[in-house]
Amino acid sequence: MSESQITTARGSHLSRISTIAIHTFTQLVRMKVFYFMAIFAVILIASNFFDLPQHSGPEAAGEHAIRMIKNWSTGPMTLFSVVLGVVATALLLPKDIEDRTLYTILAKPVPRFDYLAGKLLGVVLLLFVSLAIMDLLMVALLQFRVDMLIDQQTEVAKAMGWSAQEISALREETLANGVNASLHAAVFAIFLKATIMAALALLISTFSTSTLFTAVVGFLLFFIGHFQADAREIYMQSGQLGEGGIAKYGSLAFAMLVPDLQLFNVVDSITEGKVMPLMLMGKLTLVALYYLIFYTVASWFVFSDKEF
Amino acid sequence: MADSTPAVEIQNLVKEYKTSFRRSPLRAVDDVSLRIMPGEVYGLIGPNGSGKSTTMKALLGLVAPTSGQCSIFGKDSLKVDSRNDVGFLPENPYFYKHLSGVETLRFYGKLCGLKGKVLKQRVGDLLEMVDLEGAKDRRIGGYSKGMLQRIGLAQAMIQEPRLVILDEPTAGVDPVGSRDIRDLIMKLRERGITVFLCSHLLEQVQEVCDHVGIIFEGKMIREGKLDELIAIEDQTEIVIKDASPEMIQKISAMVGQSEGASVVRTGKPRTTLERLFLREIRKDES
Repeated sequence: MSESQITTARGSHLSRISTIAIHTFTQLVRMKVFYFMAIFAVILIASNFFDLPQHSGPEAAGEHAIRMIKNWSTGPMTLFSVVLGVVATALLLPKDIEDRTLYTILAKPVPRFDYLAGKLLGVVLLLFVSLAIMDLLMVALLQFRVDMLIDQQTEVAKAMGWSAQEISALREETLANGVNASLHAAVFAIFLKATIMAALALLISTFSTSTLFTAVVGFLLFFIGHFQADAREIYMQSGQLGEGGIAKYGSLAFAMLVPDLQLFNVVDSITEGKVMPLMLMGKLTLVALYYLIFYTVASWFVFSDKEF
Repeated sequence: MADSTPAVEIQNLVKEYKTSFRRSPLRAVDDVSLRIMPGEVYGLIGPNGSGKSTTMKALLGLVAPTSGQCSIFGKDSLKVDSRNDVGFLPENPYFYKHLSGVETLRFYGKLCGLKGKVLKQRVGDLLEMVDLEGAKDRRIGGYSKGMLQRIGLAQAMIQEPRLVILDEPTAGVDPVGSRDIRDLIMKLRERGITVFLCSHLLEQVQEVCDHVGIIFEGKMIREGKLDELIAIEDQTEIVIKDASPEMIQKISAMVGQSEGASVVRTGKPRTTLERLFLREIRKDES
């Protein structure tokens, strides 16, 4: 049963993986998962009405509303994408086994790795498309709001007798707080986080006996992933594992097995107006790739000897 | 020159499953060996739980043998490339309900490396073969049991395999659907495709298979050519059309005069209930 025995099946690995990925994407779309987009749109529109009058000068007018739109967009984006990543992945494998569609696929010249990789890529494609649409919605609303804000600020500033140079500087500052590359990078970080969770859910579902178990363990690991870095640090500092090698390598091994999701919590600082360095973006991509490859290979290791 | 490589070769297959509640593992298949040559239609018959499906799954690499070996056209079943030449229809298949008939066939075709015009042509031919052209754009979720089995047979045939494995192909299908599937199996036989099917519907197996194996409690208890296995060696059958009672009397008297021979039974041969049902249905339709 070992996949190392794979020799010459018809068609390439790439074509089989893409066939399964596109099919998985279609399957999830036809399961009407995009309905959550409507909820997202409602949340986004609602965030527009929370422009509380707490500004003291023209430079602060509407700024709160912009931050609110960013926060109210990125929050649901994280929630929807992680839930979608975990639940969709947790659902696919047991459903194929229960409906015996898996038999018909594996009875074709399809290596088990291709099947798993195709399923995961299908979910990742869905996450990408979902987040891209949500990103577009957010950008459209944000741009509209920023334009409104600039008009409002200019009007107030003129009434207060600001110079043209000051008004231009304020305009630049407001624009920088609106749609920028860092905001897209924040959405990309959310995508990476959801992708890691989907790959982890795939690994759990290869030995799990139910969708519920996979989803529950997946979300549990999602929370552990957010606190593991702090927990490791506290544990190391307390000296419970002793000094030196064992503690250090034990901690490292834990970080390699359970995703360190705290690294991806860059969204809050970006919505506050901070810029995401390119270096950090590259680091997050590499970390996500590591977890993605590690969980996929581990899933294949378990799945290649599974009997149906 | 005929191909001498067996389409299917199973040698001393043993499959044991670990069970949580028993100390000893459950032996689902116990030292089963069989060989199917190209072009044969082989029926593996046995009661539920006798090891038929496990034998098929081992042949398809869905389960790993505890011991023994399975091969398809000389290739080890555990290797992926052995599945280039095999199509499989599982028992009660569901397929993806969100796909239409044509999308289902395209999906399986692409998995087998087919694309472009070749895939389109193949999908069209198969839909015609299983008589589902009229329902090709309907979602599979709305298909009847018989239609599901037929689209299942079409997906099994998508890459033009030399061997087709069918697990209970007519189970749960009405008489008309069941007849259609058996007609399709016969078409496969005419085209020289090897068919390996398992069923517990003995009359249907008898109709389509030329070789059978009887499996019981995991063991192969009898195997061989169907005609040889079911022939009653010391009896001869003569079927006469429009025979008068006088002629029957004469023949009976003639047999009575012969030393050692006797008439066992005379009377009108009966049609089967299935033939009667299908004839009446078709009469009503026309």
